Amino acid sequence: MSSIFRGTFATAIKIAILAISTAILSLLAQSAFASGESAIGAFLIFAIVALNFTYFTKFSIPLKFFVPGILFFIAFVIAPIIFTVVMSVFNYQTGNYISKSASIEQVLILGVESDANQTTFDLVSGKDAKGDFAVLVSDIANKRFFISTQDSITDINAAELTINEYGVATTAPGFTTTSDSELAINDAYSKIRYKYQDGYYIKIEGQGVGAVFRQKIAYDAKTDTMKNIITGETYINNGKGNFALEGSPEKVLTPGWRTPIWFENYTKLVTDTRFRTPLIKVFIWTVVFSTLTVLSTFSFGLLLALALNRKMRGRRIYRSILILPYAMPSIMSILIWGGMFDSEFGAINNILNTHIAWFSSATFARAAVLLVNLWLGFPYFYLICSGSLQAIPSELLEAAAIDGANPRQIFKRITLPLLLQILSPLLIASFAFNFNNFNLIYLLTGGGPRNSLDGEVAGATDILISYTYQIAFSRGMNDFGLASAISVIIFLLVASISFYGLRKSKVMESFG
Amino acid sequence: MSKWLRENLWRHAFATSMCIFSLFPLYLVVLSSFKSGGSLQLDSFVPKELSWENYKMLFSSPKIPFLSWVKNSLIISSVVAVSSVVIGAASAFAFSRLKFKGKKFGIQLLLLVQMFPAVLALSAVYVIMERVYSFAPSIGLGSQAGLILVYLGGSMGVNIWLLKGFVDSIPAELDEAAKIDGASPVQTYWLIFIPLATPVLAVVCLLSFIGTFNEFIVARLFLVEMQGRTIAVGLQQFIGGQYASNWGAFAAGSILASIPIVIIFLSLQKYIVNGLTAGSVKG
Repeated sequence: MSSIFRGTFATAIKIAILAISTAILSLLAQSAFASGESAIGAFLIFAIVALNFTYFTKFSIPLKFFVPGILFFIAFVIAPIIFTVVMSVFNYQTGNYISKSASIEQVLILGVESDANQTTFDLVSGKDAKGDFAVLVSDIANKRFFISTQDSITDINAAELTINEYGVATTAPGFTTTSDSELAINDAYSKIRYKYQDGYYIKIEGQGVGAVFRQKIAYDAKTDTMKNIITGETYINNGKGNFALEGSPEKVLTPGWRTPIWFENYTKLVTDTRFRTPLIKVFIWTVVFSTLTVLSTFSFGLLLALALNRKMRGRRIYRSILILPYAMPSIMSILIWGGMFDSEFGAINNILNTHIAWFSSATFARAAVLLVNLWLGFPYFYLICSGSLQAIPSELLEAAAIDGANPRQIFKRITLPLLLQILSPLLIASFAFNFNNFNLIYLLTGGGPRNSLDGEVAGATDILISYTYQIAFSRGMNDFGLASAISVIIFLLVASISFYGLRKSKVMESFG
Repeated sequence: MSKWLRENLWRHAFATSMCIFSLFPLYLVVLSSFKSGGSLQLDSFVPKELSWENYKMLFSSPKIPFLSWVKNSLIISSVVAVSSVVIGAASAFAFSRLKFKGKKFGIQLLLLVQMFPAVLALSAVYVIMERVYSFAPSIGLGSQAGLILVYLGGSMGVNIWLLKGFVDSIPAELDEAAKIDGASPVQTYWLIFIPLATPVLAVVCLLSFIGTFNEFIVARLFLVEMQGRTIAVGLQQFIGGQYASNWGAFAAGSILASIPIVIIFLSLQKYIVNGLTAGSVKG
């Protein structure tokens, strides 16, 4: 048997697996470098080296067990966390999503203006006698016809042309018309700026139509400024990812680029009331929500455990029914509850014989969230409490009873304090879990109700994590920088709560 | 009032009312799934009709590719469950049984990082996978393979932690004996540890399966195409339009999707409760 793990057979398998993974990883690394993703490429190279080094040398035996796990851990856990921290000091958001060079390119493409009359021409796309991209333009108003390429313009006598019933030239000597089907798939034709007069050019705007434009904005690499050639205005790099008009910094050219703005995302959260007020509101609700959830699920779970903490008829049936909410996939349960709270077709209004629009009122929506979370959470504490109740030594309780304590006193003075001591790490863990209970909020209320017409991002039931998601991914707003800053803050909060819990539970001491 | 009543009445009353509370939504879904009209409305507590329409719709309507959702969920969850346990078990074994420098640091890092809520790193994961897409579309954003990679990476921390707990509970005498007999750590791992730990690995594998099956938010962001969705995303999007008429089919779909999970969960109850007291919370 051990020959499978030692000897030529095992070596052959090892080499085969390593060879295949090395081949795949190098292919990926190659294409990563080819498309400019050098950070990802470098990681892939690192992975190749790490794999081969670990399994072909006797450098470290523990590493042989760790390497695959470590690589995944770095790629999808550590890297995103570091990236989040990095993004939090960037202005990474809609309008500043691209690199600086791409932004300059875009600004130049957008920095054009049409001529005073907004002239348009009928034209035919094709190639001239030399084979260059060209357009045959018909200036019908002035009875002028010409072939224009990127750098030349040639007038043509109307007599040499075929002109259709609308007065548009369709063919000219030496000009090859390109078919519509070719034009539809090749966008090279529409990207070219065909030459016109006085610094203007013609750009294809649609099938058979061109419009007259001229470049308005120019980039000066030496001073890193944008200049309006026509008015002479200068736009300077404002250091926050945009070119802003000299003298009026609120006028910026779009799109901007992503650039470090250091602690601005953080200071914005502290000083700017537009961000501070909703953040404080959301934070308070997050704490209230988690606290009430832990209290309600724990007390219901504990009561149930106490009620069923003795031999009685039907205990097993009760137990299997009570565990059901916990066994159901929580996503399904949350969606089902969402349907039950529907104001028109939901069962809750049905039973109560009311017409409450549950998710349109802040108070009702919050009540609904807490109720659903009680349903989802009490079986957990029921299971835990009934387990822990049995762990309390019965001699202790008997001794108290002999000393004349009544059941209520025993519970208050002995059972509850002991339970709380045993369960405090779990209570804290449950608090931390609900602090980030994204699925519940997102699937039940979507964080709402919120007044999105007023541009409100924070809804009445939004907790920090769903609010962050909203900032990063909601329609019309993708502020990854700000979202990352909030993420870092939440992480610090949760980590300190959990570390406190761990210290209490003495888990940390058992590491050896 | 007899002594029995005084001592037991409140127990039964309370337990019964909590049972009604627990069962009510589930009962309602079962009712709705057999109703031809489609809302989560309660017309009566007793079923008036028994219509298989909603179930038939799941398997025939082109609007709901339910079978491909089930297939996707099964494939993604099984691949993630098996691979993460295979990779995680090795690390957990090393953390639990081998002595090496930096062990304490490794465990603490694992714990610390686990506290970074995955949803918060989502924008970063999104941007990274968007870039991967630019050179390898088949494992980047929008692909199931990419989703599997993200899940694998994300499950590493939790699984290693969970597995380490289980491994710690397996008596060390056997592999110490093997060590004295001259077995290398790799041999101990394959010949002693793996056969001993198989039941435990299977449990963690199933837990990981349930976790992945339940995952919604990353899948939602990743899987845009109707055919490629998982059950969770598919069903959520299906009722996302707030058409009351869809609830019947949703009810049927969620019942079918939940039954296997509930069965796995109930049969693993004992292990899960043990795992719970070790400090992990089901998502």
